[in-house]
Amino acid sequence: MQIKPILAAMRHHKAGTVLIALQIALTLAIVCNALFIIQQRIERMARPSGVDETNLFVIRSDWADKSDPQRIDAQMRADLIALRQLGSVQDAAPINSFPLLGSGWDNFIKLQPDQVKMTTDSAIFFSDEHALATLGTRLIAGRNFTASEAGAQQPRDAMHAAQVIISKDLAHRLYPDGSALGKTIYVTMGRTPSTVIGITDTLQAHMTGSWAGPYAYNAVLVPAQLLNDYTYYLVRARPGQLDAAMRDAPKALFAQSRMRIIDHKDGVMTFAQVRQRAYGPDRGMAILMAIISAVLLAITAAGIVGLTSFWVGQRRKQIGVRRALGATRRDILNYFLTENLLIGIGGVMVGAVLAIGINVWMVSQFEMARLSLAYVAAGVVALLVLGQGAVLAPALRASHVSPVEATRSV
Amino acid sequence: MLKMTHLSKVYRTEVVETYALRDFNIDVKEGEFVAVTGPSGSGKTTFLTIAGLLETFSGGEYHLDGIEVSNLNDNARSKIRNEKIGFIFQAFNLIPDLNVFDNIEVPLRYRGMKAAERKQRIMESLERVGLASRAKHYPAELSGGQQQRVAIARALAGSPRLLLADEPTGNLDTQMARSVLELLEDIHREGATIVMVTHDPELAARAQRNVHIIDGQVVELSEDPRFHPAQVAAGEVRG
Ligand SMILES: Nc1ncnc2c1ncn2[C@@H]1O[C@H](COP(=O)(O)OP(=O)(O)OP(=O)(O)O)[C@@H](O)[C@H]1O
Ligand SMILES: [Mg+2]
Repeated sequence: MQIKPILAAMRHHKAGTVLIALQIALTLAIVCNALFIIQQRIERMARPSGVDETNLFVIRSDWADKSDPQRIDAQMRADLIALRQLGSVQDAAPINSFPLLGSGWDNFIKLQPDQVKMTTDSAIFFSDEHALATLGTRLIAGRNFTASEAGAQQPRDAMHAAQVIISKDLAHRLYPDGSALGKTIYVTMGRTPSTVIGITDTLQAHMTGSWAGPYAYNAVLVPAQLLNDYTYYLVRARPGQLDAAMRDAPKALFAQSRMRIIDHKDGVMTFAQVRQRAYGPDRGMAILMAIISAVLLAITAAGIVGLTSFWVGQRRKQIGVRRALGATRRDILNYFLTENLLIGIGGVMVGAVLAIGINVWMVSQFEMARLSLAYVAAGVVALLVLGQGAVLAPALRASHVSPVEATRSV
Repeated sequence: MLKMTHLSKVYRTEVVETYALRDFNIDVKEGEFVAVTGPSGSGKTTFLTIAGLLETFSGGEYHLDGIEVSNLNDNARSKIRNEKIGFIFQAFNLIPDLNVFDNIEVPLRYRGMKAAERKQRIMESLERVGLASRAKHYPAELSGGQQQRVAIARALAGSPRLLLADEPTGNLDTQMARSVLELLEDIHREGATIVMVTHDPELAARAQRNVHIIDGQVVELSEDPRFHPAQVAAGEVRG
């Protein structure tokens, strides 16, 4: 290859060379990080919730009369009996919040009553003995709540759950070297001990923000329905009967009492919708990053096509001279491909450093993971290939400049 | 060495057909030094570009060094240009981005020559034209005469058997023109075949043979006593 004379000639059009190299560098730096963000978001969105998403839906019932907790308690029990009696329904449970909802309770979990710092943080789901069967989440150790253990409490009551069921990730976090089953834990700031009577398979918390990353699979099930201004009912339809169950359930509830509000738009949501909402921002970010990457790559490719075309036009005469002196079409094609490759290599070297720099900065500023070098390597290859692809058309045009151009005086 | 028979070259545009050469016959023997003269637009450059395989022709035959060239593909033509032919242009045609050394190296690289041999040949041919000290200079830093001598060095470095020159002295003053011609005469003495287009009667007179082209056809002067080379070269006589 004729690298030396190409480099020598490049010094005579520095401005364009540097411009394209810089464009390649910036594109590489941004696209690497953008793709990394996209990949992370996709990974987040693909996380399992641990519940039977295909058959599950939720109803939010806002009470018209919020004044009497006793009445709410009774109403909820009646509602649940009605729901569970529906033919299209497999099971139903009351719950204050659920995986991927976004809002709900999360609290410190401690192993000692007077511990000052938390051991970890966890979602708290207030429900009853139907919770696991409704969610479709398996117990991997211990037992479920009994009907007699299930009670009720108001939001401002101190927690007094004698028994709790926890997710396996929380169990492992609390007792990395042994089983949490039968152990005592302290939920919230309270000093009342709770015994772990069961451990579930994977169960996702309601929190979806990136801050909650380490706690995303920590969940505590408390056997008490929460007497709040509203409640959620988790309903698991019999397989294939989701649509029917979603029609039947609100009717059954209104038949119980009309003193409630179930929102038209999102009072009844399938779990698929819940997931859609939970990951909306992630999807948006991924799409934005994809658009930015595509635009940058397109601009860079266009820049290369434009500048090389300009150079080919400018150098028609010397291309003709080279052809007259014995260059084949291939030689001319190779000349421009090599020139572009050299500029590209310069660009990606700067770009790789820049890509890592941007990532290091983002790691220090935001909740960001370390950029994997595989992304930089893939980006480098992608940009070099893009460059060669972009330069191909003008380079082919150059290779078809006739040797007779050498004799033309203009 | 170079034999054209009934050769024609037509330039077609949408409106007109121009016969740049018609029934063109010429036979240049190995080792000859031929000066080509003729009025402007008569087809001298066209003849040279076809002779040098820079362009194809429309009809007739052209044998270069015994090979009928019309069947050769582009790569084969490039190879012949590279190995057998040296070009010298009126406008020098050095590559402005490359220094003198790199300019002379261009055809040698296309030949795939080893670096050591390239260097030796470049320095030899630069010495030959008296510019060894200017190897690192760029074309823009040289006078016209020096640039043409670099172009000659570039043509020489590949030891071509055929040297084609299109008004090599056209852009030079008399003094420099003379020294360039002396150089060509030297090269000729060493065995190269030279075909040179010129407007300068004095230079034409120094060639072994003069070929006059009028309206795309060769008029052999030596066989026609009506013509005087000096008049003809100045374009005063029309055929
Ligand atoms: N690319 C082309 N397209 C159309 N016509 C052309 C082309 N090149 C040359 N011609 C025509 O062919 C004829 C011969 O041109 P050529 O350049 O060979 O003349 P010349 O003898 O070299 O003239 P000069 O002494 O002015 O250099 C001219 O009539 C010219 O207009
Ligand atoms: Mg001419």
